[in-house]
Order: sequence, then C-alpha cells, then structure tokens
Amino acid sequence: MPPPLVQVRDLHKSFTRGTERIDVLRDLTLDVGRAEFLALMGPSGSGKTTLLNLIAGLDQPTEGSITVGENVISGMSESELARWRTRHVGFIFQFYYLLPVLTAYENVELPLLLLPLTKEQRKKQVTTALDLVGLSQRMDHRPGQLSGGQQQRVGIARAMVTDPELIVADEPTGDLDTKSADEILKLMEILRAQLGKTIIMVTHDPKAADRAQRTLHLEKGRLERDTAWQASVGSV
Amino acid sequence: MYGLPIDGMTPTGLDPSMFLLSGYLLGLLGGLNLLAIGLGVVTLPVFFVVLFSVEQVARVASNVTGWFPAKLVLYMFRGLRRSPLRTSLTYIALFVLTLVLSMIYSVLVFIGRVTTEKEADFKAIATHKTIIPSQMPRAHYEEFKRQLAKLPDGMRPKNGDADIMAWSFFLGTTDPISKRPDNNVFAFCIEPKKILTMMDGLDELTGKEKTDLDAAVAEMERDPQAIVMSRMRLKKMNLQIGQTIKVTGLNYADLVFDLRIIGELPDGKYDNISFINSAYLFRQLDAWKLNNPKNRTSAPHPMDDKCINLLWVRLPNKAAFEQLAAAVNDTGNFSNPQIKIETASSGFGTFLEAFKDILWGMKYLMAPAMVAIMCLVIANAISIGVRERRTEMAVLKVLGFQPRHVLFLVVGEAVLVGLMAGFMSTLIAFKMIGNLKLQIAFFGAFFVPAEVLLYGPLLGAFVSVAGSVLPAMNAKNVKVAEVFAKVA
Repeated sequence: MPPPLVQVRDLHKSFTRGTERIDVLRDLTLDVGRAEFLALMGPSGSGKTTLLNLIAGLDQPTEGSITVGENVISGMSESELARWRTRHVGFIFQFYYLLPVLTAYENVELPLLLLPLTKEQRKKQVTTALDLVGLSQRMDHRPGQLSGGQQQRVGIARAMVTDPELIVADEPTGDLDTKSADEILKLMEILRAQLGKTIIMVTHDPKAADRAQRTLHLEKGRLERDTAWQASVGSV
Repeated sequence: MYGLPIDGMTPTGLDPSMFLLSGYLLGLLGGLNLLAIGLGVVTLPVFFVVLFSVEQVARVASNVTGWFPAKLVLYMFRGLRRSPLRTSLTYIALFVLTLVLSMIYSVLVFIGRVTTEKEADFKAIATHKTIIPSQMPRAHYEEFKRQLAKLPDGMRPKNGDADIMAWSFFLGTTDPISKRPDNNVFAFCIEPKKILTMMDGLDELTGKEKTDLDAAVAEMERDPQAIVMSRMRLKKMNLQIGQTIKVTGLNYADLVFDLRIIGELPDGKYDNISFINSAYLFRQLDAWKLNNPKNRTSAPHPMDDKCINLLWVRLPNKAAFEQLAAAVNDTGNFSNPQIKIETASSGFGTFLEAFKDILWGMKYLMAPAMVAIMCLVIANAISIGVRERRTEMAVLKVLGFQPRHVLFLVVGEAVLVGLMAGFMSTLIAFKMIGNLKLQIAFFGAFFVPAEVLLYGPLLGAFVSVAGSVLPAMNAKNVKVAEVFAKVA
C-alpha cells in the first residue's frame, strides 16, 4: 500500500491576541491518501481553514510536523514554501480571487510563469486546463465578463495547470448557486478520479461533503469524527 | 526695471524695483504651479494614450519572449488601468513636481551661466562706484575709451570701438496727463551700430528678422529720432511701424522726444524694450540747456551729468581687465564720480546678490520640500492601492510569487507613472517654455537645458520609488493566512 500523500503529526497551532493565547489546532494527527477526496467540516472557528492553510504551506505550525509527498513543509522558509507551492499545490478559493485585470488565459497562466517552461509549453498547459473546465472559448474574457460558476472553473483550471499532486479548496461552492456548485464538485471528482489528484476541501455544506470520499469533522481544534469512504463517489 | 534711475527710493534706501522683482519671482512661482497643474490636466489624455501604446509594446514583448519580467511589466500596466482616477492624480502630482523642479533647475543653470566668468572675450561693465542705480557724466564715456586706447597691444578690444558701448536708460510716457503702464516707453539710448555688435540675444536672429534689424539700425544712424520698439510693446500701445510718437521724459523731466517708429524687435527679444539713438538724448539735453524757455540761467539739465548709466566693453583676456580696472580705479582718471569695473558675470552676480536668499531657499528649501511632499502624496496613493489589493497580493503569494515579485510589482507601477510624468513634463518644459526664449532683463534669453529631459524622468522615478517603497514593503510582507482568515 502506497504511503499517504499528506502526513500530519501532533499538529498544534496557536495565535496570540494581545496577552491571550488562542489554541486553534491541538494535537492533530491525520493522513490523506493519494488520489483521495477529503472534506473538512466543522463549525466556524473550529480550525478547518487553519488546517487547510498549514497543509498547503501558507502558514507554519506552532508544533508538530506536516509532510506532503517527500517534503517536510513544516520546516521550510517562506521562500522555500512559495517555490514548493508553485509545483505541488493548487488552490481553489471560495471567492475565486482571479486577478480582475487579466484574462482567463492570463489568470490560468500565472503560476506557470514561475516555472522553467517555454512559451509553447505554457500555452499547451493553459489550453489543456481551460479545455478540461470547458472554458476554452472564454479564454480572452476578463473575470468581470464571466459568471460566478465560470470564474470558479477558471480558478480550478489555475489550480491544476501546474499539475500539482495536491489541490486544496476552501469552500469552493460557498458563493455559487446549486447548479454551478454541482458542476464544480463534478469537476473536482474528475480531477481526483481521472487525474489522480488529492483534494482537501473545507466546506460547511453537507451535500458538498457527501461528494468527498471521506469527511473529517473538527471541533475546537480537534478531530471529532472520521466518516468512512463514500462508495458512490468511486464510480465517477 | 533694475537700474532705472527713478526718484522713488523707499525710506530704507532700498531700490523698490528689488521688491517688485521679488514679487515677480514669487508670483512667477505660483503661476508656474498653476500652469503645471493646467498642463498636467490637459496632457492627461495624451498620458493615457501613451500608457496604452507602451502597454501594447509590453504586451507584444511579453508574448514574443514569454519572459517572466516582461509579463510582470505587463501586469504593472494593467494595474495602472485598474483605478484611472488614482493613476491620473498620481500623474498630475508627479507632472507638477517635475515641471516645477525642472524650471527651478533651469533658472539656477541660467543664473550659473550668466555669472560664470569667461576666460577670454568677455564683457566688463563700469558703473558708479557707490550709487545704485549707476549714473555717470558723458565725459566718463570718452575717458573710458581713452583709457582703453592706452592699453597695450593684445589687451585692447579686438574690434575697437565696436566692442565698447554706453547705455542710458530712458523712461517716458506718450500721455503725460494720464501716466499709465500701457503708455510708458522704456528705452536703451545707445549708439545704433552697437545694437548689432554688443547686445546679447540678438545674434540668434535669423533670416528676415536679422535683415529687418540691420535696416532699422542703418535708419537709426541716418535719423537720430528713429525708435525701434519690441513687437509686444507696439501691440500693447496699439502702434505701428511708420507712426510718430511724442514721448515726455519721466526720468528726464521736461524733455520731450519726437520719435518715429522705424522697426520692431521680434517677440522674445527684449520684450517691452525700445532702442533710441543716444545722440538724440544728448541733443535734447543740450537743447534744453540752450533753448528751454523755463531755463533762464542756462544751467544744464539736472540729468546732464548723470545720463550715462552703464559702460560696457568686450575685453580679450583677464590681463586686459586687470589693467583696465587699475586705470578705472585711478581717481586721476575718474574722480567725479569715481567708478568701478566688474566683469559682466560678476556684475550680474552683484545684482543677483539681492536675491541670493530667495535662490538659496528655492534650491535648498523649496525643492527638497516639494520632493518630500510629493513622496508623501505618492506614498498615500500607493498605500490606498495596496490596501485595496491586499487580497490580490496574497493570491499571488499563494500561487508561488516571491515577496520580491510583489515588491517589484508595486514599486514598478509607481515608477512607470513617475517616468512618464517626468518625461512628459520636461519635454513640455524643453519644447514649449524653452523655445519661448524669454528675455530676462539684460541677461539674455532664458533657456531650458537639454539635460532636464534626462533629469525629469529620473526625478519622477526617484520620487515614485521613495514614495512607494514603504507601501511596497507592506505588500511584500502580507501574511497570506491572515488575509484569508480575515476574508473568511
């Protein structure tokens, strides 16, 4: 059996607000397998987004370790993390966060600019990513000219364009109507099933969580429940 | 006009024209600021057209090369289009700064040039030793020429009499009942041929202007009652070439000049100034002594022994100047009154001494203060932009952009505006204001040095960097997790 892609060990994260210390995550241990679709649920302030940020290398743990693939990211500097993120992690945000002055094509191309690729290689990857999300006809449109669902699809194309093994999504359907949300979740299932991506998704929506293979529930910084694989997802 | 012999000294004994000129300077500065703001607003569409054009070049360069820095530059251009109002205000602020500082720099360079000593073929100026404005008798001019003739070979003026000149300032009015600025005539009374050999700024005349002036000088030689007036003055007084005017002296009381306008000086050359043959002035003074019915004692006119204001000579070298200075300082040669001689540049320097505090303030207080204020203005504008785009900066960092990339983007946007504003303002200063060739008193035509075309953009870029560096550091240090935690 292959080792898990993400290994979180004895993770602790605390913030200091004034003189008060706030423990957001406590003694958290977690494995996420390769090509697994994991949902993180829990009430507001339970530490879901903090955990997601730590796994994605956006923040450093107070204690404990995080290993993604063969990289121990909990010991990396900010610059090293930035370089690592470019190659290994794709991000999908609730509010898409596309750069408004860039076209869909240019938004998707952004992470590739940091990699040693030729113009032709970049073009091929961007076109493939936009094809996959069904927006190759809209590549010259600016975000303001696209619907919310289309913007999120551009966001997904941007997340997968560098072919990362891990994709993290913070409430990717939180700002979308039911139909668009369904399309986005289907796309994420395709990423997992056909391209072998590991996906970690934070969500408040139980229906969205149902599409994941496993759901973890966080409560006050601790893992409370670990829901079993959803057999139905495997057939996508 | 400086040096004009007038009676109205202030109780402190200071020449009121000094205050007038100081007022002009301050008014000029205020006017320059308003002009700069106006030009900045007017050139805004041009700025955006240029911005868009350069962006297209950057886009092509980025598409062709696919080079990462080229892409970043392209994003900078796109960023500038994000908030046209803020970009416009930043442009106008930088435009005003660079234009005004370019003009201050030009003034300082101009002053530096007119006060810089030449080693050869330089002008020297002889004046009353103590009185400002200088007033000397006619005999001094003849004695001055005699002393020059006594100089050894190699020290005498190369062109003989053509290199020696006397000025008499004349102020009169065409309407002695209602004296107003618009009916005043101010003239240099001079030997006509010296206009062509000794007056600064007229050697740049070309073509018809030069031919007309040559003809006018010849006519002045023929007819002492001829007057050449600046085109601007003719227009102000609603006069034309060929007309005759009767001018009553203001500084030469009771003298009335019947003058025939025979030529005009082009715009920008001795604006508002006229030339009269000095022989006519002397003739009128002599006539007053002999014929004036008011004069029952045959005494000379009160200005008769004060009618030479400045004596000029072009000397071949420093040794000649020193030898002439010794002769001038000899009270046996010039005793009543005693006179002194300076090089023209040191004479200008003496004249400008009265304004040294204003010039010092312009150079060391106003210019740095303007730079500092503009840095704050830019910092404020960029800070607002950074605050608005904090999430965007965080997204870039999430995608793997290094902090230095974010810093480069923020500073780069400001520098693009600074470079373009600096270039456009100095181009306007150089092409428009420089080409006006405004005549400043008798210092020659004002010019804008070509190097401002380099300094302006550099200044704009410098202020942009200085103003944007702190906001850029804030953008660089954006904590991604904190930004998204707040958003969530």
